[in-house]
Parts: sequence; C-alpha cells; structure tokens
Amino acid sequence: MRLRYAMVCSSNQNRSMEAHLLLKKQGFDVSSYGTGSHVKLPGPSIREPNVYDFGTPYKQMFDDLRRKDPDLYKRNGILPMLKRNMSIKTAPQRWQDNALDGSFDVVFTFEEKVFDMVLEDLNGRDQLLMKTVLVINLEVKDNHEEAAIGGQLALDLCLEIDAAADFWESAIDDILSGFEHRHRRKIFYGTSFY
Amino acid sequence: MASRDQALSLLAAANNHGDLAVKLSSLRQVKDILLSVDASFASELFPYLAGLQSSPQSLVRKSLVEIVEEIGLKAMEHAAILMPVLLTLVRDADQVVASQSIISGTKLFSSVLEEMTMQMHRLGRVERWFEDLWMWMVKFKDIVLTIMLEVDTVRTRMMALKFLETFVLLFSPDNNDYRKPVTEGRRHVFNVSWIVGGHPILDPVVYIADARRIIGVLFDLLKSSPSLPGCLTITLVNCLAAIARKRPQYFNTISSLLLDFKLNFQTTKDFHAPSVQYSLRTAFLGFLRCAYSPVIESRERLLRALRAMNAGDAAEQVIRQVDKHLRGAERVSHDFHVTKDDELATKMLFTGDFMKRRRLSQSEDDLFYNNHEMLSKKTRYGPNTISSLPVQTTDLMNGSLSMKEPPSVPVLDTELTPAEQMIAIIGALLAEGERGAESLELLITKMHPDMLADIVITNMKHLPKVSPPLIRVGSSQAISQVGSPSLPSHISASPGTENFLQSQVPTGQLPNPSVCAISTMPSATVVSNITLESRRDPRRDPRRHDPRLSLPAEIPSTPNMEQPNAMKSDWESSSLSKPLPSSVAISSKTPSGLPNADINTDEDMLEYASISETNKKIPEVAVFDDAKDSLLNIEVNIPSDLPLSPRQLDDNNSIAVKVEVMEQNEIEMADSEELEEYLPTVTSPSVIEDTVLELPSVPSYVELTSKQESNLLKLSVMRIIESYKNLNGKDCEGMRISLIARLVAQIEADDDIIVLLQRHILEDYQLQKGHELVLHILYHLHSLAVANSVMNSAEIIYEKFLLSMAKSLLDHFPASDKSFSRLLGEAPFLPSSLLKLLDDLCYLDVSDDRGTSLRDANRVAQGLGTAWSLIVGRPHYRESCLDIALKCAVHSQEEIRSKSIRLVANKLYQLSYISDAIEQFAQNMLLSAIDQNVLAVGKNILQPGGNEQPEVEICTDKTSLSGSEVSETATSETESTRDTQAPGQSSSVSLLDAQRLISLFFALCAKKPNLLYVVFDTYGRAPKTVKQTVHRHIPILLRALGSSCSELLQVISDPPQGSENLLTLVLQILTDEAVPSPDLIATVKHLYETKLKDVSILIPMLPSLSKNEVLPIFPRLLDLHPEKFQKALAHILQGSAHSGPALTPAEVLIAIHDIVPEKDSVPLKKAMDACSACFEQRTVFTQQVLAKALNQMVDQTPLPLLFMRTVIQAIDAFPTLVDFVMELLSKLVIRQIWKMPKLYVGFLKCVAQTQPHSFHVLLQLPPPQLESFLSKYPHLRGPLTDFASQSSIRASLPRSTLSVLELATESNSQQPHHSSPLPPDTSSSIRGATMT
Repeated sequence: MRLRYAMVCSSNQNRSMEAHLLLKKQGFDVSSYGTGSHVKLPGPSIREPNVYDFGTPYKQMFDDLRRKDPDLYKRNGILPMLKRNMSIKTAPQRWQDNALDGSFDVVFTFEEKVFDMVLEDLNGRDQLLMKTVLVINLEVKDNHEEAAIGGQLALDLCLEIDAAADFWESAIDDILSGFEHRHRRKIFYGTSFY
Repeated sequence: MASRDQALSLLAAANNHGDLAVKLSSLRQVKDILLSVDASFASELFPYLAGLQSSPQSLVRKSLVEIVEEIGLKAMEHAAILMPVLLTLVRDADQVVASQSIISGTKLFSSVLEEMTMQMHRLGRVERWFEDLWMWMVKFKDIVLTIMLEVDTVRTRMMALKFLETFVLLFSPDNNDYRKPVTEGRRHVFNVSWIVGGHPILDPVVYIADARRIIGVLFDLLKSSPSLPGCLTITLVNCLAAIARKRPQYFNTISSLLLDFKLNFQTTKDFHAPSVQYSLRTAFLGFLRCAYSPVIESRERLLRALRAMNAGDAAEQVIRQVDKHLRGAERVSHDFHVTKDDELATKMLFTGDFMKRRRLSQSEDDLFYNNHEMLSKKTRYGPNTISSLPVQTTDLMNGSLSMKEPPSVPVLDTELTPAEQMIAIIGALLAEGERGAESLELLITKMHPDMLADIVITNMKHLPKVSPPLIRVGSSQAISQVGSPSLPSHISASPGTENFLQSQVPTGQLPNPSVCAISTMPSATVVSNITLESRRDPRRDPRRHDPRLSLPAEIPSTPNMEQPNAMKSDWESSSLSKPLPSSVAISSKTPSGLPNADINTDEDMLEYASISETNKKIPEVAVFDDAKDSLLNIEVNIPSDLPLSPRQLDDNNSIAVKVEVMEQNEIEMADSEELEEYLPTVTSPSVIEDTVLELPSVPSYVELTSKQESNLLKLSVMRIIESYKNLNGKDCEGMRISLIARLVAQIEADDDIIVLLQRHILEDYQLQKGHELVLHILYHLHSLAVANSVMNSAEIIYEKFLLSMAKSLLDHFPASDKSFSRLLGEAPFLPSSLLKLLDDLCYLDVSDDRGTSLRDANRVAQGLGTAWSLIVGRPHYRESCLDIALKCAVHSQEEIRSKSIRLVANKLYQLSYISDAIEQFAQNMLLSAIDQNVLAVGKNILQPGGNEQPEVEICTDKTSLSGSEVSETATSETESTRDTQAPGQSSSVSLLDAQRLISLFFALCAKKPNLLYVVFDTYGRAPKTVKQTVHRHIPILLRALGSSCSELLQVISDPPQGSENLLTLVLQILTDEAVPSPDLIATVKHLYETKLKDVSILIPMLPSLSKNEVLPIFPRLLDLHPEKFQKALAHILQGSAHSGPALTPAEVLIAIHDIVPEKDSVPLKKAMDACSACFEQRTVFTQQVLAKALNQMVDQTPLPLLFMRTVIQAIDAFPTLVDFVMELLSKLVIRQIWKMPKLYVGFLKCVAQTQPHSFHVLLQLPPPQLESFLSKYPHLRGPLTDFASQSSIRASLPRSTLSVLELATESNSQQPHHSSPLPPDTSSSIRGATMT
C-alpha cells in the first residue's frame, strides 16, 4: 500500500517545501502545508515581515517581493525559494483549512509548535474513518541551509518508513531510535486517527 | 432472478478465480448488485457471501469486510446473518483484514445503537431482529476487548483501542454534548443519555458500568505500558485523553492517572520514550484547552507537570487563550446583567439571559464552554439539591438547555451528577444480584475516593424523609460542598446557619432563595450577595473597577436578588423550621471519611457557625476571627457604600492576621490570572462537589479592598525581599525574582512599593541580581500590558517603574557605570518618558546663575553612550536616540557638542542604516548656518539684539525634522518657517553659532570626503562668519584627508562657482607642510588650463613645478596683485627639496625682464613693481645675483626694456657694483645704445648718476652723442673736460671728441688738454680696482 505523506511547517514555504520537493523527486505521494495563521516571509527587518494569506500564489509573492526590493530578497534567498516553490505547486496551503485533502499516513512536522497544532487539529476532528496517522516531528531551524538538511533527513526517514509500510506501527520505535542515534537530532512522533 | 444468478456466478468467480484482480472486481460487482436489489432478496445471497471469509487472499477478505459494512448499514434487518463473518475476520491473522474488521464493526456498532434507540423513541419498542443484531454487537465488543489485550499486531490493537474509546464515549453520559453544537453539529452523535429508561435490551446502567470497566481495563493496560510498543502506548494515552476531554466526569481519574504515569515510565527503554512523553504533553495541553471546571481546578497540577516537561510556555499560552475566552464570556454575561431591566420577572430574565448567552456562544464558539458549563451546573444541581420542590423554572430551563436532545428524554436523566450516575450504576449492579456483585466490587476498587465520598454524600438525600428531611439533606450537601476554605467567609457574612445555606445557594444554584431570606434578615443577605458579585468584578479588572463604587449599581440587576421564586416560601419555612444544632451536627458527621484537611475545614465551619450565632443579634457586623486555620484568609470586602453593611467590617486587625497567615504559594497564586482561573470554583459549588476530596485544600479566595490588597502586596514584597537576603541559592533567587515580578504587576502604580523595591534593587545591583530582578519585573509587566490590550495599568506601572529605576540608577551610580545603559538596552519597551529622560541627560544644559555649566560631562558621555547602544541594539528606538545624539551634536556647549560629534562621526555614521539621516541632518545644519544669513543680507535687516532666539528655534526645528526620511520636505519646511521668522529677526550668524552648526558636517566630511563638495558649493554664499569657521575647520580636515584624497581632488578639479577663495586656501594648506602629490599638481594644472584661469591657484604648486612649467605662466603671475606675486615669487624661489627651486633668482630677474608688455599683456608697471619687489629682497637678490642677471641680459637682443632701469636700481642698491656697471655701459656703447631711444635715456641717466666713474664711458660715445649728452647735462661739462684734459686720457681721445669738449680749438693747449684725462683714468682704475 502506498503511503501518503504530508510535510508541514508554519508557512509552507521553506522547510515543508524543501521536503516536498525532495520527496516528490523520489516519487512519493506527498503534499505540504503550513499551520500558521498567515504566511510570513522575512522583510527588510524583523519587525516588518511580509505577510500573505494562505492560498496566495507563490508567483504573486514572487512578483510582489521582486517589485519591493529585488536585491534584498535575492540576497536572502527568498526569491529563489519562491521560484522553487512555484515549480512544486501553486500556493501555500494551510493544514487546518485543508482537511478535505483526505487522509495521510505519515505527517512530518518540522517544529514542535507545528506538531502540536497538527495534533490538536486532528484530535478535534471527528475521526470517523478510524485510519491511523503517524505524525513525526523533526526539529528543523527555519533557514535555507537547515531546511535542506532537514528535507534530506525527512526523505531518509520516509524511505525507512516506506520500507516498513503496513507495519510501521511496530517499526516506528526502532526507526526513530535508530535515527536519533545516528543523527543526534531531536525527533519524536505521535499518532492520531482520521 | 437474473441478478441472483449473476451474483452467484460472480461470487463463484470471487471465490475460485485464479486472478486476484478478477476476484476483487467480481466482488465489487456483487456488492453493487446486492446494494441495488431488495434487501430481503439480497439476504438470500448472504450465506454465499459469507463463504468468502475463508478466501486465502487477504485482499479478498478485506473487501468482504467492507461489503459487510456497507450492506450492514443499508440492510440492517438482515445484517445479523453477516455478523459471524465480521466476528471471524476480526480475529484474522492479517492485520489489514483485522483492522478493517474493527473499523467496519465500529461503524456498524454506532449505527445499530443509534438506530435502535431512535426506533425505541419512535415506536416505543424495539424489533426482534435488532435484538439479535445488538447481541452480535455486544459480542463484537467483547472480542475486540480481548483482541486489544491479547493480540500482538500493533495496528489491530490500535484499532481496538479506538473502538473502545468510541464505546466509552457512547456509553458515558455526555453532559458536554449540547455544548458543542457548533463543532459537532454536523453529525448526530449518539449518546447513552438518549436511551430512555425501561429499554428492553439496552439498560443504560449496565452499559455505563461497562464503559467504566473498560476504562479500568485501559488503566491497567497503561500501567503495563513498559511492555507495550510505543505506538500503542501513545494511542492509549490519546484515547484516554480524548475520553477525559469529552467526558468531564472521567477527567479527574484519567488526569491523575496520566500525571502519575509520567513518573514510572522513564525507566523503560523498549519504546521511543520521548514520543511517549510528548503524547502526555499533548494530552495535558489538550486538557488545558478544555474550559470545564475540573480542568480549571487541576490547572496548577497540569501546569507543574508541563513545566517539568519543559512545556511551561506552551501551557501558559494555552491558558492565556482559554482565559481570554472565559473573560470574554464573563464580561458579556456581566454586561448583560447590568443592562437588563430590573423589573423583569425571573423566568423572563433567565430565559432571556440564557438565550443571549447561547447566541453569543454560538458566534464565538469557544467562549461557549465555560459559560454554559456554569449554567448547566446551576440547572443540573437545581433539582438535585431541592428535588422535592416544585421547581417550574428549572424545568423550563432544562428544556431549553437540552435542545439537542430528543424531547422525550426526561430532564433528570440527563442532569445526573457523576455521583448520581454512579449510584444508579451501583443500584443496577445490585439488582443483578450475584452477577453484578463481581462488577460492583471491581467498580468500587477502581473508583476514585472522592467519587466514593460523593456517592455517600449524595445518598444521604435518600435518608428517610421525616421532618425536616429536606433541609437536612440540603444543608449536608451544602456543607459537603464546602471543600474550599474560602467559604467560611460566606458564612461570616450571614449570621446564622440558615443564612449560611442561603449564601451558599445563590452562588451556584439557580432557584434563589435569597429574596426570602431578605424578608427575615435583609442586611445579611444583601451582604452575601454583594460579596459574590464583588468577588467577580474586581478580579476581572481590579484596577478599573472599584467594587465600592460599582456595586450599588449592580445590586438590583443581580439575578439572584430579583427572583421572586415560587418555591422560596417553602424553602424558607422549612429552613427556618429546622433546629439549628441538628444541622450543625449533620454537617460535622457527613464528611467523616474525608481526609483530615477537610475535617479541619468542617470544624472551622462549626466554629464559624457558632460565631455567627453569637452575632445573630447584630447582623450588620460580621467579625472575622481566624486563629485556627492558617490557610484561611479572611474576606473583608463588604461595600461600605451600602447602608446595610457598615464600615466596621473593614477591620484592620484582620488584615494584619491575614498577612501573617499568607503562605508563599498563595502569594504566587495571587497572580491575577490564576485567580481568575479559580473563580468558577468559588461561584459554582457543583464543581467542588466533584473534586472536593481529591485536592487536599482548594486555595481560599478572599475579597480584599483595593487598599488592603495593595497593603498586602507591599508587605509580601517586603517579606520576600527580607527573607531572601539570607538565602543565596540560585533556585531561591529565581523564585524570588518571579514572585516579586508578579506582585509588582498587581500593585497599582504604588509609589511606596516602587521606592522600596528601588532601594532593594540598588543594594545588590552590583551583583547583577538587581538588574535581573528589574528586567524580570519589566518583562512581566510588559507581557501583561501586551497580552491585555484593555488593561493599560500594567503599562502605567511599567513606565513608572522603569522611569524611576532609570533615574535612581543615574543618581546612585557614577557616570562610568554601565547599568543605566544596560537597563535601557534590555528593557522590553521604552516609553517616551524614558527617552525624554535620556534626552535630558544628554542635552539639557544645566547652568547656575552665572551661566557656568553645572553639567558633568561624564554624564553626557554616559547618556550618549546609552543612546549609541540603543541605536545599535534597539532598532525601534533608533530614530529617537539618533535625534538625541544629533541634537547634542549642535549643542551650544562646546564640550557636549564635541563629545557628541565624536560619537556621531566615528561610531554612528559608520552604521549604514542611519548614515543618510545623519548626513541629511548635518547638511541641514550647515545650510541653516549659511542660508540664514543670505536671506538676511537680502533683506538688509540687522538687529543685533535678537540674535539668540532665532537660532535656537531653527536648531530645534531642524532637529525635529532630521529624523524624517524625506529630506526635501524637511528642507522646504524649514525654509518656510525661516521665511516667516526672518522679517522680525536678525539673522547674522555669530561665529560661535556657525561653529556650532557646521562642526558636525566637517566631522562627517572627514569620514566621507564627498561631502566636501557641499562645503565648496555653499561657500560662495556663506556669510563671513561662516566662512571664517570654515577656514578654521578646513586645515584640520585636510590634514586628516591628505592631499591625494581622490574625492578632494575631484572637488578641486571642478570647484563650484564662488569657492575660489576656499580652493586657494585648501591648496595653500595642502602644500603648506607637505610636498603636494603629483595627482594634486596635475589636477590643479589641469584646472588652471581648462576651467579656472586664475593663476593664483597655481601659486602653492609653484615650488613643485619645473622651470619649463613656470616660465610660461610667469607673465600671469606677474600680473597678479603684488602681494600675491610676492608669494608666488617666494614659492618659485623656495623650490622643493628634491628638484631645487624652479628658477634661480637670476633667472627670475631675467624672466621679469623678458616680459614684453604688448605681447604678454602685462602692464610694464607690473614688471617694474616686480623688479622693485625683487630688489627689496636683498638677501635673495644679492649683488652677485644682479650682476649675473645683468650680465646675461646685456647680451640679449633686443635688450629688455627695463634693463637700464634695473641697472640704475642695481647700482643704487649696491654702489660697489659701479665697476661692473661701467663695464656694462661700455658694452652698451659698443652696442650703440644711442640707437635704442628708450634705453638710451636710461643709459644717459645712469651715466650721469655714476659720474665721475662713467666719464670713461662717456668719452667712448661718439662725438654727436657726447655733445647731446653735455647739452642735456651741462653741469657735467666741466668735470668731464677736466677729466679729459688729463694728459693720459687726452692722448687716447679722438680729435672729434676733444673738439666736443672744446679742447681741440686751443691748438696750444690741445696736447695737454688731450692728455689730461689720463691721470683720472688711472686713478679711477685704481679706485675701481680697490673697489671691486
């Protein structure tokens, strides 16, 4: 059975999209989401982020930022990132608003807060399908370098989980312990139902 | 029939075909057929279908399960036939099939249950086939339960857990259900509370007990968790958490289990421990999000657990959210109370109130929670405590409350308390006899002690109903609810046990008997009501809302007060008829099985009861004396404005007692937020009932007046400070700091406390503890201010505290101390007053009477340093701090100014983000210095008297504008203001002001030489004073820049109009001390050749120029003002160290003489002057130099025009040159000087002047010339004749000459006459020899 994967970070821009791309290249059935209330991209200063609604096409953000300050956003990697994202899908999607996308088997989150929100959201649903979902949190800092590393790690994990496929429930403890041991990274999982 | 055959063949294919795909597709087709045909017809095929369960392919079995589910849901009547399939496949070896079976089973289970109940509701009976099906379902449940415990495939067990969770939820009375119509409204969720009593096959009691049993099983499973896979443990935790969230009655047991669970699981390593721990964290956070009262009570414990998991922040965030919602809801309901018409009848009021709340809650979903919880509690407990009374109102209320429920469901069933449910279960079990005994035992062992106690207490209602049974029950219940030590305060407000009861009831129970109490003891009841009301108000917003002021207005609108309830008279009569002592006796007896703490409470209550009794006669005065129980706080919050509650109540002694009694943890809990969390506990006794035994002592809540509160806070702070002085542990330190921070947040900007704190903080500031404390306080205040946009008192305290702290740091520590800067740098937010302080520190000029500054320059440095660090570190305050620094950079006091300029130019200007603003400001200052005067000159107004004022104004004007990014508007604005100012004011800038205004700009120029252009550009129109200042600054600047600075060269190469003087000055300075760089020379030369024809700019370069370069420009130099020429001359002669002078003095002379006025367009006069100038420099133009130059010139053709003049001058200056000059003259004679008329004049003059030495030369002239000379100078004829007549000379003279001298006419004497010149000649030659 082919597992469905979801990659979730807060703005559906950097970490989740990096992982999305990598998994997509490997032929996984993957989607990506953000859990924040808005899509936030760095602006000229910390206090002036660029804020968009979920669903705003990446292209539109790209044009907007290129108009505002092409140099700055080129330098800090935002424009290249948006360009990459445009090649993956149209617009960032909010996890909480896309329950209709169906059930996933494995959800990756890249931040504790995001993990909490995903679980809170799942636990608040009716859970009529009784379909188990594995939610894994892999802590990844929100910058380009770390996102690249995190994406690769997520891909590795997905490959391992895919290998276990139907029996991931019994294998997940070992997989994560092994992963933790190898990479010395904070990781944990939770389960919920659709 | 055809379809039957088709279905059969398809089934055969599904069973026997070799290809799996064919099997599956056949199966699908069968399903379609079965679903399309009539149910009874389809049922004939079911046995064949069931045969597929032994198919070797798991996918086929899985599909079979799915078909069973679909058909079962559609054709429930016949589904029983298929159930064995389901039950078999649930135990399938393949986990996929088994899981699917559980999933399908669960769906079937819920549907069957729901349908069955609905049928019962509709028809009043249940059909036979339903019973069969239900039996299967029960079997299914049993199997799943065993699977969950026995099977070892993880997924199947997870599914089983999920099923059990569903089961428990279905069979736990859902008191919550109607509360979540918004979130769950889309689906009709069955609940056991729907089941009408007397159901033939569904005995709710049994199933409720079963649900409890399953929870027990889950508990056991969790306890064995170390042997479980992590995934299962997590799912188990999730399931339990979900149950606890959705069914509050299980919350306490489950939460305490989970909280304990944390302790023992860490020893295991079989599973991924962090994930399991995180699942607990998620569970606890989920609890915190629930707003029903048991959760709110255990908040503290949950918080502790979460903090232990490092999830304190997340937890607090959740709490803040929930509280915000709660407060919002409370505010809404409160507002409603206030605005409601007083005259409304109780029913109307309450219904309206309810409806309103409902509307509100539907629109703001989460707000719903608590509000409704409270209401439901009120209504639910209404009938319990006064069940035998005719309570119309309550029933009505229940009707509206249970709108989501089937209308036929009796009210009381849905309104069971957990304890009553349990009693019902126990009753049911007892009824079952032997079989039930086992379950009963299990149930009791699993039961939480507090639940057990509740059951006992609730059961007391069913004591024999002899007189006065009702009251006894009521009172005992009421007292059993008094788990909180705060309740004695209620008692104390009411003089007597009857009133105690009444004061209890209004807090949580709707049918309010307080009005009846009023008839007997009005004052007391009013007091108790007010106490209740006031308790809520000030906590919700203690600073805005003075309870004393607001209460009188609220009293009439309190629903408790205005309920002329039908049952009140009954109540009253019975309550009054009850003998007091018996009630007391009961209250002390009932909780006999309780922990000690509670017994103590009860004893206290007894005491209170007796005290109140003594006070019965004077109901206005309630004396609070609390000697025994140290946990008790006394409540003294009776509005003094009320006529019925006198002021004596504010007993000072009791405050003192309170302070002594106050424990530290209580202080911590005094945090306003936490108080609010506990609020519902106080107002709703039903909550207490649930939890009274679990918590050893619910913190007491006492109403204080704001004054008392602040006193208390003060004392607390003092005590904390004092007690920690002796403790040095780090933990203590952290605790102390956060305690103080929270306390300070509550004081209402109390000066005393701030002073007190300041003193303390300053004491150990050096050790950094003070700083830490201050920051902690500030951050706490700030977070309050930010979190609560409505309450800005935190902001006020924040500002006040920060400001006074900053001031005292300044006063207390020397200027070199960094703490002030650090405080500003790290404080979360800097209000404008603080920036003002900083501004004053830097800028304010403090002078004494004589105008000498009292200002400590170090303070200014401190202030500027602080501003600097803020600019760098706090972008938010960058602008204001920059303003301060810039303002200081044009300060009238030199010292401040120079410090500030150093800071701005050296440090701030380097920061790219502000450099533009700085530059703009400096430029504006420069321009203001320059243009102001231009304008004034234009208007020709000079009013020396008003000099000071305009400058100050302009200065501030500029300063304020400098911050603005848009420089153009800034400039235009200033210009306009200046325009308006100018006519009445003098505008010449004093030297000092010029200095003040432009220093900064020059400092910046040193950093960015480009700016020099501005100086050059404006120089031309600058007033004199400004120019002078510029001249003063330029050398310093140029020294810093050096002569090869490219920007400087650029300016030089293209100087703006009007800046020539400045340029000259610059060049002069550049060449003054150092050899000009080749670049500079080239630039200047280029400039001279192209743009600026003024040769004077070349003067400074002259030493470095070669002879060939100088000579072409020499005429131009000559043409300059004599002064300048002199300078140039000096430069030319000075030369450079390497190449020597460009021209030797002799060459200079020659050059001067080489000038041809016509050709070089230099007036001859200039050349003459130049010559004179040369002669003046005798040390340079020595006689040798002159001789050399003259010697060279005499051979030139044509002779220089001024040659003779120079010769004459030379001989004048140096008489010893006479012999040399004679030689020159002789040469000239040879060159027939008389043929050069202009020179000849000079020649003759020279000869005449140099006689008698020139006689020799004279005699060499041809006779005609001699003749004309003698006619011109007749007085020389005699001496010449004498000279010539000397025999030696006469002999050598030609006859013609002699004849001119009239010596030849006397033939006799001709000879002697001829020879006469000789002796003088010899003598003259001798003289000449001696002279030379």
